[in-house]
Amino acid sequence: MDTGEVAAFRGVGKSYGRVRAVDGLDLVLRPGETVALLGPNGAGKSSSLDLLLGLREPDRGSVTLFGGRPRAAIEAGRVGAMLQSGGLMTDVKVRELVRLACEVHPRGRSVAEVLEDAGVTELAERRVDKLSGGQEQRVRFALAIAGANDLIVLDEPTTGMDVSVRQSFWASMRAQADAGRTVLFATHYLEEADSIADRVLVLHRGRLIADGSSAEIKARAGARRITFELHEADGPFDEAPLRRLPGVQGLEVAARVPGVRTVRIRTADADAAVAAVYRAGLYPRGLEVTGLGLEQAFLTITGEQDAAESTESTESTENAENVLERAR
Amino acid sequence: MTTLIRLEILRTFRNRRYVLFTIAYPALMYFFFIHAYSADKLAGGLPVKTYFMVSMATFGAVGAVLTGSAQRISLERKSGWVRQLRLTALPGRAYTVGKIAAAAVTTLPAILVVFAVGASQGVSLTAGQWVGLVAALWLGSFVFAALGVALGYAAAPDSVQSIVMIAYMAMALFGGTWFPVSGSLESFARFNPVYLYNRLATFTQPGHSLDTVAVAGLAAFLAVFVAAAAALYRRDTRQA
Repeated sequence: MDTGEVAAFRGVGKSYGRVRAVDGLDLVLRPGETVALLGPNGAGKSSSLDLLLGLREPDRGSVTLFGGRPRAAIEAGRVGAMLQSGGLMTDVKVRELVRLACEVHPRGRSVAEVLEDAGVTELAERRVDKLSGGQEQRVRFALAIAGANDLIVLDEPTTGMDVSVRQSFWASMRAQADAGRTVLFATHYLEEADSIADRVLVLHRGRLIADGSSAEIKARAGARRITFELHEADGPFDEAPLRRLPGVQGLEVAARVPGVRTVRIRTADADAAVAAVYRAGLYPRGLEVTGLGLEQAFLTITGEQDAAESTESTESTENAENVLERAR
Repeated sequence: MTTLIRLEILRTFRNRRYVLFTIAYPALMYFFFIHAYSADKLAGGLPVKTYFMVSMATFGAVGAVLTGSAQRISLERKSGWVRQLRLTALPGRAYTVGKIAAAAVTTLPAILVVFAVGASQGVSLTAGQWVGLVAALWLGSFVFAALGVALGYAAAPDSVQSIVMIAYMAMALFGGTWFPVSGSLESFARFNPVYLYNRLATFTQPGHSLDTVAVAGLAAFLAVFVAAAAALYRRDTRQA
């Protein structure tokens, strides 16, 4: 009876008062995918996950899990989730709490196995209220994997974890994905999305503005950045040849020091652009070509979206910068 | 669901504040009262030792239930534990049922400890009266369990403690917990669930049977508190 679709949003809208948290969201998750959900704060990530898990009802459209109502999927034990604001029961030991989660799960796993997989075996006899933030997060993760779920949903799971813990956390999460489970996680650590997800969704102002592999998203944003200086001593400055360079998606010229222009170019074809710079008879100094990280790609895409929406207000200075870059 | 209920009970007994506040404190107060009043006096038609044994048992039981359920529910709504539970296959009511069940179990020691102290201090009742009294006080505590759940869903964690304490102390003060109410105070007390709760003990007086007016009043309060708790619970669920 598997419809080949783990989760589906169809024309989903959700508003809180005047704020449109989710605005016309269409999205299908397929079995086995590891999907990262990105977006600036207030983009609608948590709201979307709440709708997905049936904690809230959409105003418009429909949300389905495994072809049915979210609540039905939870009752069938197909979904495990770790919420951002998922408090824990106090005055109990970690083992007791994990046992509760395993026992109420229709497809519950063994307590020892879950403790092991979440890396909390050594915390099992500790009281839940005596744990550090990062340890609490791992206990929450244990609750999310207490059963043989087909889908695991994690909302900013590594918040509060230090770097080494974060790495072992992602290792345990990858093991879940390797076991054939679909994983959906929201994060604002873009390097996590880059290295772990095979599909990246970018949410902005409640809308899905990008959906693809991390490489595709980087390519869409212009994959590389070329930076160099032009000195007046080497010839008069002229912007026109720069605009004609192949594959240019963004051009930024700054004159911070008299007689020196700093040029930053975002391009899909860095090799051709660099060759063309020399062919144009320019004399670039300190030329650097850098790969655009997912973070920059993300800012670029959200910035483009803001520009397209005639810029009522931009959310951050980075976004503003990208809008300017785009407008030139 | 039984796992959740078992854990709720276990954690309540593990909480030192609960043990101190709801079991040790009323028993100590009982000692204080029976020595402050002369033993041969009557209070509210009952021997002093019996009267305060009942009022301290109800004091402990109401305290156990109100602080246990109201504060915990309020805190756990805030912390997100309630949301986390909604992501399990447990039915939505399991959480509230677990709280009420834990409350019901934890009122028993509060009642029994004071009764044991009372018996050791010379309160003499027939076996049937002892059993009947424990049963009446235990069943009566469900009224306050429902109130605790309603308050837990109504109040935010930073205000729930003061709200519970004010309600608790006001009901106790005018409900005959520390002194028998009489005269005009008594006519107001008829609308006080703690007063009605204390009245459940009057059947131990010679020539009295169970105060059916008090039972009817408590039943009405139970209906109101349950309705309020259910409405507030539904509101909370809609807000996720």
